[in-house]
Order: sequence, then C-alpha cells, then structure tokens
Amino acid sequence: MVFTARFLLPPPAPTPRVSPWPRLITLTPPPPSSYPLLGRAHSASSCLLPGQVEIGILDMAAAATAVSSTTKGNGTSGRSGPSEASGPRKKKGPGPLATAYLVIYNVVMTAGWLVIAVGLVRAYLAKGSYHSLYFSIEKPLKFFQTGALLEILHCAIGIVPSSVVLTSFQVMSRVFLIWAVTHSVKEVQSEDSVLLFVIAWTVTEIIRYSFYTFSLLNHLPYIIKWARYTLFIVLYPMGVSGELLTIYAALPFVRQANLYSISLPNKYNFSFDYYAFLILIMISYIPLFPQLYLHMIHQRRKVLSHPEEQKKYE
Amino acid sequence: MDMNMVAREASQVMAPSINSLPRPVPPKATKKPKKAVLFFEVEILDAKTREKLCFLDKVEPNATIAEIKNLFTKSHPQWYAARQSLRLDPKGKSLKDEDILQNLPVGTTATLYFRDLGAQISWVTVFLTEYAGPLLIYLLFYFRVPFIYGHKYDFTSSRHTVVHLACICHSFHYIKRLLETLFVHRFSHGTMPLRNIFKNCTYYWGFAAWMAYYINHPLYTPPTYGGQQVKLALAIFALCQLGNFSIHIALRNLRPAGSKTRKIPYPTKNPFTWLFLLVSCPNYTYEVGSWIGFAIMTQCLPVALFTLVGFIQMTIWAKGKHRSYLKEFRDYPPLRSPIIPFIL
Repeated sequence: MVFTARFLLPPPAPTPRVSPWPRLITLTPPPPSSYPLLGRAHSASSCLLPGQVEIGILDMAAAATAVSSTTKGNGTSGRSGPSEASGPRKKKGPGPLATAYLVIYNVVMTAGWLVIAVGLVRAYLAKGSYHSLYFSIEKPLKFFQTGALLEILHCAIGIVPSSVVLTSFQVMSRVFLIWAVTHSVKEVQSEDSVLLFVIAWTVTEIIRYSFYTFSLLNHLPYIIKWARYTLFIVLYPMGVSGELLTIYAALPFVRQANLYSISLPNKYNFSFDYYAFLILIMISYIPLFPQLYLHMIHQRRKVLSHPEEQKKYE
Repeated sequence: MDMNMVAREASQVMAPSINSLPRPVPPKATKKPKKAVLFFEVEILDAKTREKLCFLDKVEPNATIAEIKNLFTKSHPQWYAARQSLRLDPKGKSLKDEDILQNLPVGTTATLYFRDLGAQISWVTVFLTEYAGPLLIYLLFYFRVPFIYGHKYDFTSSRHTVVHLACICHSFHYIKRLLETLFVHRFSHGTMPLRNIFKNCTYYWGFAAWMAYYINHPLYTPPTYGGQQVKLALAIFALCQLGNFSIHIALRNLRPAGSKTRKIPYPTKNPFTWLFLLVSCPNYTYEVGSWIGFAIMTQCLPVALFTLVGFIQMTIWAKGKHRSYLKEFRDYPPLRSPIIPFIL
C-alpha cells in the first residue's frame, strides 16, 4: 500500500538551485586592450597565424620551414655557436604615424580586392557564364596582388612584427603565379582553374585585410575573426587546386616555346629549364600543403575556442 | 655500573648528531681534521611541464653542471649530457658546463629546469661529412661517370686546361677543410642538433653537384679572357686559401688544447693575419675571396650564386661574432668591421 501510494503522490518540488556558472554577458570578446594587432602578427619563431597561409599554397614552403624548423639549442646555424632560447617577447606597437599608414594600406587593399570581387560578379552577370572571367579583372588583380610586395617592406622596417623571410616567400609565391604563370602563358588565361584560385584569393584577401584594419583600430568584430579562421578550410584547398591546375595547364606551352629557359653552351655556363622548374614547384606542394593545412586547423582550434586566450593569438 | 663509569663512557662515546651536519671528529695524531661539508640537493624539473624529473641529493657544492648532467643521465639514460639544457629559469639562458653549483644564485636546494635539445651530433662528424661529400661528388662529375652526361661522354676528359685546374682547386679546398677539421680547429661546442647534418649536407652536396655539372660539362665554355683571366683568378684563389689557413692557425693558437677560452685575435708575424687590423673574421673574408677567385676562374654562374649565398651566410655569422666580441671585451679594437673592411 505504501509502495503504490508513493507513486500517487506528486513528486517533491525541486529545490531552487543557483547556477554556479557566471552569466555570459557578452558573446563577442572584449576589445583587446593591448597594442593593436599589426599586419601578420605572429609570435616568435615558429608560430604562424592561419591568415598568413590563406594567401596561397606556395606560401606553405615558408610557413612549413618555420613550423618544422626549430631555432633553439646550440649550433643551429651550424657555426655561430649557441643561440639562446628566446625569452618572453616584448610587443612594441608601431607609432601613430605607422598605424595610420597601415590602416590606410589595409583599407586600400580591402577596397582593391572588393573591386576585383565586384568585377567578377559583374562580368559573370554580363557574360552569363563563368568562363574566361580573368580578362575582366586582370588589371586590378595584377595591381593589388603585386602591391602586396609592400608587406615585405613593412616587415623589413619593423612596423609589422612578422618575419621578412616568411612574408617574402608568401608574397613572391602569389606574384609568381600572377606574372610568371598566368601572365606569361597567355593560353592558360581562359582556363577555369584561373577562376578557381582568383575567387579563393579574393575572398581570403578581403577577409584578411579587413581583419588587419579592424585589429589596428582595436575593434575586431568576431565574425571577421571567425571568417578568417574558418573559411580557409574550403578556400585553401580551392586555391591550391586552382594554382596546381593552372601550372599544369601551362606546361605544354612552356615546353613548346622554351619559355624562360637557357640551354648550354653559353658564356656563363648555366642552364635553366623552366618546364622542369614548374614541375618541381608542383611537387613541392605535396609535402607543404598538408603540413600547413593541419597547422591552420590547430591554430583555429586554439583561437576560436579559448576566448580568454585570444589576446595571445591576435 | 656506578655513575662514574657511565660518565666516563659517555664522554668517550660521541653523542649522535642532532642536525644533519656531520659531527666533527676529535683530532687524532694520525688523521687530519675533516671540514664540515654542506651537501647541496638538486631538483630537476621539466622546463615546459614543471614535472619533477629527478632529485639528486648529496651533491658536492663544487660540482659542475657537467657533473650534474652526468648524474641526470643515470636516471634518464635517453637524455645524454650533450642534449641536456639546464637552466635556472625555464625561459632563461642555458647554464654552461663549467659553471659550479655553489657559485650559482641558488639555495642549498637548487631547482634546475631541463630542456631537451633533441638528438645531437658532434661538430666534427658534421664537418667531415659535409666536406667529404663535395670532394667526392665533384670528382664523379670530373671523371664523367655514366648517367650524368650523354653516353658518348662517359669517362672522357675535358680538353680545357681550366677544367682540370678547377678540379685541382676545388679538391684542394675541401681536402684542406677536412684536414683543418681533424687537426686545426678547436671547437667551442661538442655537438649540434642532429637535423643540422641534413640541412648542411643538402646545401654543400647540392651546390657541389650543381657547380660540378656545369664546369665538367662537355659543352663547357672557357673564360672569355682566356689564360689571363684564369691566371689572375688562380692567384686570388691561392692567396685567399693561404690567408684562410693562416687565420685558422692563428685562431687555434689563441686557445690551448681542450679549453674553451675566448681571446681577442690580433695580427701575428704572418702578413695574412694583418687583416685582423681591419676585420673581426678574416677567415670568412678570405673564404669569400677564394670563391670569388674560383668563380672568375670558371666563369660559371652557379659558382657565382654559391659564392653569393655563402657570402650572405658568412656575413650573418661574422656580424654575430663581431657583436659577441664587442659585448665580451671592453677593449675591442674599434677599427674592425665584421667581414669586409670599413663596409660590412
């Protein structure tokens, strides 16, 4: 009787519990109070922010060498004796003039790549097909991608705390694809693979430059940070595929015209086979791409899942 | 037993020590008195995880870091002394092997942080490997071993004198380097990270193959200005080789065998060492000079590129060396530049 009675009684009222967790007040992280993030802000020797890699797969080589090489311990240069492990790095922001210049630079670049994006859309709507859209954005693409060479200068004069070598490698790889492949081998300009990497670069660069702009102004919307550290998952392989297919398409024409090649005999006892060089470049993607892609995945996990540690990676 | 006997026994038998200090032993005619020795304790933690790796007690106060490293190896044999970096602060500088425990700013229980430097390889091994490679590789191309050039050129010989001369110079250079590694150089460090051997060998062997391919190619074009150019280049090469060797000997004489002392190098009676008046690292200056000579002799662009890359690397090293000289010695001659007089 008692047994069944228990089931007939209403269950006891739950005791009101105070949540032990603090209420989440804001969903966006507070703006960083430290010095503004500059350009390709990245710490010490081997850490690389995903943004640095988004601009192209050939960048991978530099980033991979940074990721895999460890400059610590003694005798790393082989000769120079022990180099002390780097102590805690002090972040020195750029002066107000440099910050103003960098904001202008990043705004201009964002605008430039937006122009390219709009140009692509308009050309698509006008033509009705997505083939051969390269010709409609050829000039701004060349101008703004080549303009990125300035970023090497920024690192060299110190207003952006990134490695000159790394940045050079990354920018030169993009410039190489624009000038030494797409511009030089006219026959590939109507290939669809060109559109593939142009779209990947355009989206990446718009996000990247706006990320830097907002960071410099200490006002980074979370959506931009999210986009920068997430969209690469699709854009990166897309860009790589476009680049590789374009180089592959260029090969027969390079062979035919013996483009940029010198053969023996000559006064300087030198030879260069551009065809073989392009094949070597393509092969280099194989070790570099997975390394960098995985590194970016790890960075993403770190940056997007620890709001209190975001300052470190910004 | 009466109280007198107890008292006598008590006075003869020493009371047990209350604190950890050893009791002083009463002096006997045949023995010297022992000094009170305070042993140190050393605690070794992982620099990254702060995990306790090893605890050493009864460490002599005058023990060196080298001895502590050897003790540490006993408990962790996979970390031989050469790959240990011990430091007082996890992010600080590595302690030197010669440092003495009691001279360090630690209490009687020292906490040292350990960092694994990775697999190490001796400098001598690396040098021998990276220099033996170019020596042999160049000769493979010189003798036109099969599968390099077309079949009809296998084991043929070039008809240009300069090609034979270049082979002699190149081989002489690397034999000199090998002999210097074995008999002349006194290294500051025993080991370097293992991955350096792959990096260095790729660089040396790769460039040697690339240069040798063109110089010994059947379609090689001799220098534009003929014999004159070759003679001048040979003179430059020979003088710079002699200079480089003189500097190596001078540097060797600065340091007694087995020591790691550092002194300011000064010019000696040997005229080649007079470059010390103007330059901190004349060995690098002469080395670049040798390769410039070789490039002029062969008139080969890959050689010029190798010279350029080597120059950039040696400039970086020279600047670093110059900086450490300036930091270490107050009276360092101000006229000296790192590698090129007055310029660089």
